[in-house]
Amino acid sequence: MKTKTAPQMAVQIGRLKLKNPVMTASGTFGYGEEYADYVDLNKLGAIVVKGLSAKPRTGNPPPRIMETTGGMLNSIGLQNIGVDAFIKEKMPYLRKYDVAVIANIYGESYAEYQQVARKLNSVKGLHALEVNVSCPNVKKGGLSFGTDPKIAALVTRKVKEETDLPVIIKLTPNVTDIAAVAEAVERAGADAVSLINTLTGLSVDLKNRAPHLKNITGGLSGPAIKPVALRMVWQVVKRVSIPVIGIGGIMTAGDALEFLVLGAKAVQVGTANFVNPHATTDILEGMCSYLKNNHINDINKFIGTFNEGGSSCSG
Amino acid sequence: MAKDIYIGEILKNEEIQLDYFLMKVSLPAAFGQPLPGQFVMVRIAGLAEPFLGRPVSVYSYRLRKSSVEIELLYRIAGRGTQILAGLISGSQLEIHGPLGLSYTIFPEKENAVFIAGGIGVAPLSLLAEHLCKTLCFPSGQMTFYLGAQTSSAVVGLDKLSELCYNINICTDDGSLGRKSLVTTMFQKDIKKYDPVNTAIYACGPRGMMKALAGILKPAQFCCQVSLEEKMACGTGACMGCAVAIKDGEGNIAYRRVCADGPVFNLAEVVWE
Ligand SMILES: Cc1cc2nc3c(=O)[nH]c(=O)nc-3n(C[C@H](O)[C@H](O)[C@H](O)COP(=O)(O)OP(=O)(O)OC[C@H]3O[C@@H](n4cnc5c(N)ncnc54)[C@H](O)[C@@H]3O)c2cc1C
Ligand SMILES: Cc1cc2nc3c(=O)[nH]c(=O)nc-3n(C[C@H](O)[C@H](O)[C@H](O)COP(=O)(O)O)c2cc1C
Ligand code: FES
Repeated sequence: MKTKTAPQMAVQIGRLKLKNPVMTASGTFGYGEEYADYVDLNKLGAIVVKGLSAKPRTGNPPPRIMETTGGMLNSIGLQNIGVDAFIKEKMPYLRKYDVAVIANIYGESYAEYQQVARKLNSVKGLHALEVNVSCPNVKKGGLSFGTDPKIAALVTRKVKEETDLPVIIKLTPNVTDIAAVAEAVERAGADAVSLINTLTGLSVDLKNRAPHLKNITGGLSGPAIKPVALRMVWQVVKRVSIPVIGIGGIMTAGDALEFLVLGAKAVQVGTANFVNPHATTDILEGMCSYLKNNHINDINKFIGTFNEGGSSCSG
Repeated sequence: MAKDIYIGEILKNEEIQLDYFLMKVSLPAAFGQPLPGQFVMVRIAGLAEPFLGRPVSVYSYRLRKSSVEIELLYRIAGRGTQILAGLISGSQLEIHGPLGLSYTIFPEKENAVFIAGGIGVAPLSLLAEHLCKTLCFPSGQMTFYLGAQTSSAVVGLDKLSELCYNINICTDDGSLGRKSLVTTMFQKDIKKYDPVNTAIYACGPRGMMKALAGILKPAQFCCQVSLEEKMACGTGACMGCAVAIKDGEGNIAYRRVCADGPVFNLAEVVWE
């Protein structure tokens, strides 16, 4: 017998209550309005906007995109309109929707992170900050903030000083021990962690014996990275008690459910939006059907039910 | 009508010349009428590879009783277009569009000049058709300059010759028409056109557009070009398809080919 009523989909990321666990991944959904023709934005768990810096950034020279097997490389270089223009030009549009808006922030110094966080603190309609710590730390010769647990913790503390909003630290997978970074930011006061950002990669144009991307290296995303992302989420959920948001290669409802079963409280859909602009809502519908078909009336009863021993599941 | 993803069925996918294909696709009537210069992102339905859609200009559009037919004229450039070329009638495609901004048309200007390099003829054909058939622009006031590397790369002539009788053809190797670059061929005629009364519409490889920019710079012609860049989303969200554009005040910024273009004012394009 199938459950008649729709399953309860709301999840809690610390203080942040979401209608459902399907969020958009930063940089893949613009500022929301780029997808409003395709998706009813009100249906989304949250919209995470393109990474914001203190000043507008021009980004890297093209080509910036290269398709790879099961995914793509990008070297956008965080082109964005800057935090002031975001508040003035993009927030009024987003406020029209009944959806949680999360600002993804970026800095090349502690001061820049703080400046962006401060400016966003009292912006109406903003629900949380997601801190991209994959950015190069200019003072440290461009090494990313997120690769050193101590530095990642310091960024977390600095941002927390400037904001009352929940702070999600977005972790880079380009590290040896991602769980150590997660633990460090948890201790520093992070309200949640999201993972993974893109994996650094390179694509060779054999004809010209040259890189395909002008920037030479780029960030790998898409289905190719899903197993890596799943492994990292699995490692991190064991080591922290703050909520974990799973990201990486999610194309279908099944992919999203794999992250949730490991213990992620929510997911972000990134590159899938490019291939299918309805991906977010398609995934959400698919998750609901799955729960209904499996007689699960609340998504929270499904989250974290991973059976490591591998024995067959009841129900 | 709003852009969206539609499932299309291939009615025809023919190699019209070596490595050049003409594909006819049937789409639901809800697919909005594309304006000249707009494009679609094409993916093979249900297939994981090619992963991202490939941008292709709309070459023609026909409204049928309960459906829409579009034609795409494309060249095999790499893996994605190679796979597309292998599809047979009845295969299904995901067609995302119509996307981008169209050419701005100046029907009040006396002359319409089209400068196409190779496959660049595709969007310009739809534009010429729109001018002739929808806006009743006199065919005698349209002039086409069509260039390609070699005769087998001169495509779309059959359709063009129905629309326009001033067609100047050239090839790099002289195997068809004059032996010249299309920009040089146009430059020889430039005195025939009064900048105030002429609208120039161009599409072709980067080198050709750059040369054209050099030729047109001293004269105050209004020239719009359709640019190409690799794309991921096609809808302005990813910032992947950046081209450097100079605004009125001389500030240079990366704009999105898919959403701010693909048509730009030639004078504003920055060539490195
Ligand atoms: C707005 C727009 C309209 C276009 N209209 C047409 C058209 O009507 N007919 C047609 O044949 N082609 C058109 N193109 C170009 C077409 O998109 C590319 O040829 C195609 O994406 C190549 O894909 P591939 O997998 O076959 O080649 P790849 O293996 O990806 O690349 C092969 C070569 O093509 C270049 N390339 C790849 N993608 C693009 C791209 N998006 N734009 C330009 N060069 C690219 C690569 O740099 C490389 O040199 C258009 C491009 C744009 C941006
Ligand atoms: C084009 C593009 C731009 C991105 N921009 C950002 C960004 O500005 N800030 C950020 O934290 N992550 C950014 N990301 C990373 C994604 O949010 C996400 O973590 C990553 O793509 C993995 O998820 P996916 O495989 O579902 O795309 C970007 C990814 C892509 C593909
Ligand atoms: S292809 Fe994504 S912004 Fe143009």
